[in-house]
Amino acid sequence: MKMPPLSRRQRMLVLCAPFNEGRITDRAMRAAVFRVKKADEFNHQLAFDRAVAEVIKHAPVPPEVAEWFTKETTVAPPKRTWKTIATNPAIVAVGIAVVVIATVFAFRLLERMSDFPGADTARKLLTTASSAHSLVLDPVETDAGALGDLFFMKHRLNHYDVPPEFADLKTLGCRVFDDEEGHRVAQIFVIEKHMQFFLFPAERDPKTGATKEFSDWRYVDQEGWTGVVKQKNGVCFMAALHGREKELTPYIEKVKP
Amino acid sequence: MTGEAGKAQEIFQATMHEAALRAAQGELPKDRLWLFRDARGRCLEASESGLQAEEVEMEHHEIASCAPEQIGQLEPAQLAIWVSGAPEPQRSALALFYLDHFNHEDLLDLVELKPAEFSKHIANGRQQFQAWLNGTCPQEGT
Repeated sequence: MKMPPLSRRQRMLVLCAPFNEGRITDRAMRAAVFRVKKADEFNHQLAFDRAVAEVIKHAPVPPEVAEWFTKETTVAPPKRTWKTIATNPAIVAVGIAVVVIATVFAFRLLERMSDFPGADTARKLLTTASSAHSLVLDPVETDAGALGDLFFMKHRLNHYDVPPEFADLKTLGCRVFDDEEGHRVAQIFVIEKHMQFFLFPAERDPKTGATKEFSDWRYVDQEGWTGVVKQKNGVCFMAALHGREKELTPYIEKVKP
Repeated sequence: MTGEAGKAQEIFQATMHEAALRAAQGELPKDRLWLFRDARGRCLEASESGLQAEEVEMEHHEIASCAPEQIGQLEPAQLAIWVSGAPEPQRSALALFYLDHFNHEDLLDLVELKPAEFSKHIANGRQQFQAWLNGTCPQEGT
């Protein structure tokens, strides 16, 4: 087989490649040798080198010298430097994996730190909001603030009231349904910005049964939808829209003193 | 390196003596190839003080497929003499390369050559040796 085309550097490496494969520790040299492994020219070179080494092996060595002549007594094992460790592909791969895991972990930690009781439910409802259609609702055209009485009278849902910040917005319709955990959830469609409101029971401590409180408005987002949540009287209210936090901010700021 | 067994043995003993002295004083160098570096230095000193090989333009022949058979006919002493007659640093490069004791990085470190220079010395050495072989142990068809 003919010698394959080689770069100048590869040619240079092939010409001085150790004839003992175990001595090829350099990655570039190993790659160059791999390319020419089947070439006649390289195989002649290898056979030549091995024949010379064989003659040297049979050179008579005086016994007093021979007893010293072992690799263990003449060459110390190479020291591993930071550079060789850092450029090892396995180490690089592990490093990248650790960085990715750490980033994901940090991201999740930051997300958890800004979480509030009921955030998981709020995220699930944002998914519901993204797939909901106004046709599934009972058409009700009124102010959102007026629906609290409807929920109480028709569904016996106490404190399912829309906060004053969103109470003036005109509704298209509403419905009440049970979520995966059997909690009663009220959903309201609003004309403005195609917003949706959700009212759902606040998260409770499983041991004491007490409501887990949190103050003020809290943001949550999921799949391009953003919600702003507030808790009052054991019920959470969430205003959700397909967009960013800044689109909801004006509503909750207007009532602040 | 020296082409003479007696001289080589003297150098070896001197190197080991130096190593033993340094070890006794707790001053062994950190260089893990020190023993070979020291031995090479002594070989170079010894060859400079002895008879110098005449510099001649050597012929280059392509490596023949029958080279292993040609080399097989040689005595180790003949090979040693040929290598010791090579000019420095080619002599060191050939001697250490065919010792089959070092990896590429160690070889470059020991002979203090750049990869391209080292490669050139080895490749030229092969072709010159082949030319010598063709003259010394001719084979049919060569």
